[in-house]
Amino acid sequence: MRKPYIWRSLTVAALLAVLGLSIVIRIIRIQNSPEAAIFRDQASRYDGEFRTFYPARGEIYDRSGQMLAGNKTVFEIGVTLDKVKNPSTIAQTLSANIGLDYNSVYDAITNPPKNLTYLVLADYVSSDQASALQKMKLDMQTLTGNWKEVVRPSLAGLEFKPHLMRSYPENNLASNIIGFVTREGKGYFGIEEKYNNLLAGNPVTVWVPSDPNRVQEIPQIPNGTSLILTINRELQAAVEQILDSALQTYGAPSGSIVVMNPHTGEILAMASNPRLDLNQFWQYENIYHSASEYDPPVSMPYEPGSVFKILTMAAALDTGTVTPNTPFFDSGTILVGGANIYNWNSEAWGQQDMIGCLQHSLNVCLAWVATQVGPQNFYNYMQRFGIGRPTGIDLAGEAAGRLKIPGDTDWYPVDLGTNSFGQGVAVTPIQMMMAASAIANDGRMVTPHVLYGMVKNGQQYNTPPQYAGTPISTKTAQTLNAMLAISLENEASQALVPGYRLAGKTGTAQIPTQFGNYSPDKTNASFIGWGPADDPQFMIYVWLEQPSASIWGSETAAPVFAQVVQKTVVLLNIPPDSIRQQMAANK
Amino acid sequence: METITRIFHAYKQAAWRTQRQMIGIFLVALVGVTMVAAIYLSVTARTAIVGRQIQNMENEIINGQRVNADLQTQLASLTSASEMEKRALSKGYQPTEPGEIAYIAVAGYTPHNSISLAPQPQPRPPAIPPEYTETLLDWFDQQMQGMASTGGTP
Repeated sequence: MRKPYIWRSLTVAALLAVLGLSIVIRIIRIQNSPEAAIFRDQASRYDGEFRTFYPARGEIYDRSGQMLAGNKTVFEIGVTLDKVKNPSTIAQTLSANIGLDYNSVYDAITNPPKNLTYLVLADYVSSDQASALQKMKLDMQTLTGNWKEVVRPSLAGLEFKPHLMRSYPENNLASNIIGFVTREGKGYFGIEEKYNNLLAGNPVTVWVPSDPNRVQEIPQIPNGTSLILTINRELQAAVEQILDSALQTYGAPSGSIVVMNPHTGEILAMASNPRLDLNQFWQYENIYHSASEYDPPVSMPYEPGSVFKILTMAAALDTGTVTPNTPFFDSGTILVGGANIYNWNSEAWGQQDMIGCLQHSLNVCLAWVATQVGPQNFYNYMQRFGIGRPTGIDLAGEAAGRLKIPGDTDWYPVDLGTNSFGQGVAVTPIQMMMAASAIANDGRMVTPHVLYGMVKNGQQYNTPPQYAGTPISTKTAQTLNAMLAISLENEASQALVPGYRLAGKTGTAQIPTQFGNYSPDKTNASFIGWGPADDPQFMIYVWLEQPSASIWGSETAAPVFAQVVQKTVVLLNIPPDSIRQQMAANK
Repeated sequence: METITRIFHAYKQAAWRTQRQMIGIFLVALVGVTMVAAIYLSVTARTAIVGRQIQNMENEIINGQRVNADLQTQLASLTSASEMEKRALSKGYQPTEPGEIAYIAVAGYTPHNSISLAPQPQPRPPAIPPEYTETLLDWFDQQMQGMASTGGTP
């Protein structure tokens, strides 16, 4: 190469080298400048995001696998602000279709908070509404025409994010048992509250990178545990219909009916009125005045009246104080603790035996029985029956009731007499059923429960029945069972159902007023009974609050009990006694 | 010998041969770097595509689970007690009364009272010793880890 060319070449090479070096130096300077840190910070916002994955809340099923609570898809609607082309169209569309305020939406989009890229405008929008909006968005994208003079309508930037929300396919069926879940995902009342942690599962927060090179597997989040209840959906629906009809027939503002298997403690149906449409849980405050009204059989103690007499008689039989044939002359009044106690009709019933005392529901007789048992024994037995403490039923908000015992500052000797026929003592229907289960179950008392089992990770785990002690002997239980069956038959009670021998007891309790005395014309009408008497398959408790058609339990709660029995034997496939005994004999 | 020395000297002094060698080496290096870059780009691009596919599939799984839950709830609504009662009544069915039922004794029939929505948990089979399942590499890895954990102390 000639010399001049060498120098020229070297000059060009040097210039290029200097240029290259200066570019490299510039790159290094830019990368380490203060502005670079700002840019890196801005970029990091798009690196990915911490995303919380909420497991689907576990479903709730009845005992035949019918869904009582599930999940449905709803949409969160928002806007990606830098993609918005026409805020007015978005505000107008959302206002017309999902009822949002036009000005609020328009202001939110046009004056968003600083550094915000995505803005939530609405949540829990139904699938139908979201689908309609998505279709409108697509339609507007394909709009043709001359839009030079006016702004082209566009829903660009509108985003739809689906997620699950609690849904109750049966609406208000068994609402008092199930409870509800608010939009924050917290369970209230019933099963939803009691088993909230199991149903909700454990949410997991993970970093989800936008860079596909850094993609990581999203951890498999197990769904919340699904629960199987002991409830029989068909029986629950039938019992609710009977209750609603009874409230109208007897002019009662509210009431409850519970059906339980006395051998296992499984609650087969638990109806109360009023009920809440669980898909509109926000109506709660319009329906109920206090939390105890939501599920009265569990959370509302009351003075049960004469249904309590079966416990008094059980204590007396078990201690050997009386037998079914023990005679008693009813003079119409008895003095206990310095106060006179009268019968429900203030009349004297003359010579009776213990069956007659139960049959005619004689306060005087039962008060005498209690005095013969003695306060120590009487209250020991009541405590063994679980009176005054929660049963442990797996529903939220159970009340303990109140049993005053000797030694309490507010216990007086007269309480022994009044407690014997269910006044001055507060119990919940579920407490009465647990106590009475000892009579129907050969002396063994069962803990009432609503959970049959749970399904977790594809496997079912059943909950075995639990027993709550043996307050009375088998002999006592069988004797009292027979006495209650005979007393119903002798009385020709309206609770009787042809073909089935039943045992039970009515209750009519005066309601205490705020002044400490009892209302003269308002009562709680109750009935507790079970059947078939020789092998009880169901136990039913009926409670009608302040019936106006008649104040007597024998004329209101007893016929309702019979209606429930008629439905129960059909739905539980319990044949009439004669057929059942014949089938048993042929085995 | 002289001839060889002359040839060697001639080749050594040929400038064009030296330049060609340099160019050849540069081109080989360039091709090598290009191949590595191409392979890197290809692998990176494929990883990115697969990564994106995984993200999409995970989203599809989540969507599928959500749709499934939604459909189950819709089905439950369509078969709710009130809906079924309405449909039964519209087809002329009436609620049964106790006296209308005929009971027939079926020899050997036992009513099915248990509730089963999912299989019960089965007892776990006895655990298989690792000697029957681990590979040679697993064993080697375990031994190395064991040595590492016990090492460092005299």
